Amino acid sequence: MRRCAQGLSLIILLLVAGAYVLDDLALLLAAGILLCGLVGQYLVFDRQFREIVSSVSVKRSLERTQVRKGTTLRVATTVTITVPPPMHATISERLSSQVAVLDGNTTFSADPDPEPRTCEFRYRITPVVHGRMRFAGITLAVRDAFFSHEIDLFSDPFSGPDLLIQPVGIFEPAGKRTTAESREVEKLKVVSGFGIRALREYYAGDDLRRIDWKLSAKHNKLFVREYTGMVSLPPLIIVDLPWHGTPFSQAALEQMVSVIAGLAEHSIRSYQYVSILVISGANLLHFSPEEKDLQRCMSMLREWMHPVPRVVHQYHATDRSAIRAEIRHLESVIVQGGEPAALQFSDRVRKHYLGVITHLRTPAFVGQVARTFASLKIDECYLFSLASGDTSHIRQVIRQAKIAEMIVHIRLPGAVIASHPAYDRYLSADTVEAFA
Amino acid sequence: MKAENWDYLFIAVLAVTVIGVTGWTGSLVWYLHLILLCLFGGVFYATRRWHDRGFFLVCAGIPLMVACGAMSTWAGLVAGWMVAGCACNAMGLLARSRERRLFGVFCAATLPVALIVYFSNHVVVPIIILAVVTGAIVAVQQIRDHQWRKRYGVQP
Repeated sequence: MRRCAQGLSLIILLLVAGAYVLDDLALLLAAGILLCGLVGQYLVFDRQFREIVSSVSVKRSLERTQVRKGTTLRVATTVTITVPPPMHATISERLSSQVAVLDGNTTFSADPDPEPRTCEFRYRITPVVHGRMRFAGITLAVRDAFFSHEIDLFSDPFSGPDLLIQPVGIFEPAGKRTTAESREVEKLKVVSGFGIRALREYYAGDDLRRIDWKLSAKHNKLFVREYTGMVSLPPLIIVDLPWHGTPFSQAALEQMVSVIAGLAEHSIRSYQYVSILVISGANLLHFSPEEKDLQRCMSMLREWMHPVPRVVHQYHATDRSAIRAEIRHLESVIVQGGEPAALQFSDRVRKHYLGVITHLRTPAFVGQVARTFASLKIDECYLFSLASGDTSHIRQVIRQAKIAEMIVHIRLPGAVIASHPAYDRYLSADTVEAFA
Repeated sequence: MKAENWDYLFIAVLAVTVIGVTGWTGSLVWYLHLILLCLFGGVFYATRRWHDRGFFLVCAGIPLMVACGAMSTWAGLVAGWMVAGCACNAMGLLARSRERRLFGVFCAATLPVALIVYFSNHVVVPIIILAVVTGAIVAVQQIRDHQWRKRYGVQP
């Protein structure tokens, strides 16, 4: 109700109250006439409002339907509407929080006109969150002298099209052992590196340039250097998505996605392909082996880089190797000796661990990860995680990567590393660093 | 007919009704009816360029409606029609034939109200009837509105 209708309602209430107190039918008659007018006006307004809504048609066109996050996109929306007098209508675009409006008009006021009229919004937006965004229709507000009404029109004729927002990568510093496109390995390769992996006696046919003269002079025998080999294998990117049931930092997730996108882009440009493994807790969700197409890779990141439901939870499970290490530690404590009470306690804990380890079964997730690693020819991996909640699965992944002789780099939010300085030791990875 | 002519017609009918009924009933406070008629005319003239003129006309017309209604229910009804006509015309609600038809519907809808008042001795029963009917209309309208909105408000 607008001000005029509110005033009339107040007068009606006063008249009815006066009629009731004074038992005066003349006051009641006046109140009844006004009430008829107000209710009738409401019914007329409602009917005209529905006519206006049914006359609305929306046509929206985008400059492109697939953009990268942070780029600018022009949008043109044409709305056709019939606003009979004495109604006034205001149409505004319903824009998702995934985009920011740069400039242009997203609201239009339609003056009364019995003929259909067409209005056009032209504006520019900047997507700020990756993913699929659907233009969610329009908001139509209609008013006359007595009433105003608003409706959100987000059914199919008013919404769409879909905008695909690809994640954009940011610079990620390379690992310690990586060079621009290749790195040294402790194996013989056709292309030699700069490091020395071994020294051996000279055999006929060896390259004379590889003779280590200083060592040869010392031992009075010819020794040659064996250099490390160079390989050009892209790193495996493992993404640990947060569980949607636990609180996490949206900003940290956005930053993580940007870093992953940057690393994936760098890998495709430098090594011609990239492998991405998507997990969430102890759930292996998606594996994209040796993806060569950058667009397809970005589309995959756009689709998957969101919080997900977790089917399997580990509840801070300890794996078999950690328990074994604990048993070994307790046994060494018992052998060293000490106070009888402490020894008794250590023995009791050791027995408890031994009882647990006999019933402990390897989780299916560990087998899945091991099989995935076995199918790849990779010696380095980056694991990205927000480390919110249970992190036992991260240790399991690291263990399997170590078994597969991979160098493991863990990338966590800076706040997590700052709050847990011992993460480095706990995770036993080669490097534990914050996002770039 | 032009909008100004509608105004003159309504005021003329209102003046004839008030003066006629006052003379016919021989009211002792006949001067009060004339003062209220003059008050309505004064407000009609003074607010001719105001934005919310309709509301002021309704406010000025209510004492006249009550005074006429105290003499005769039917005189009060006619006064109500004329005041409403002036207010509607001031708000541009009689410009098209469709709106004039709707004004006719409004006049017809007030007849049952006048009948209820005419045949009642006290206000309690008519108040209950008005409240129930108004509540029923609003409730049905809300349900219809909810059903109708679902057609347009399905989340994509």
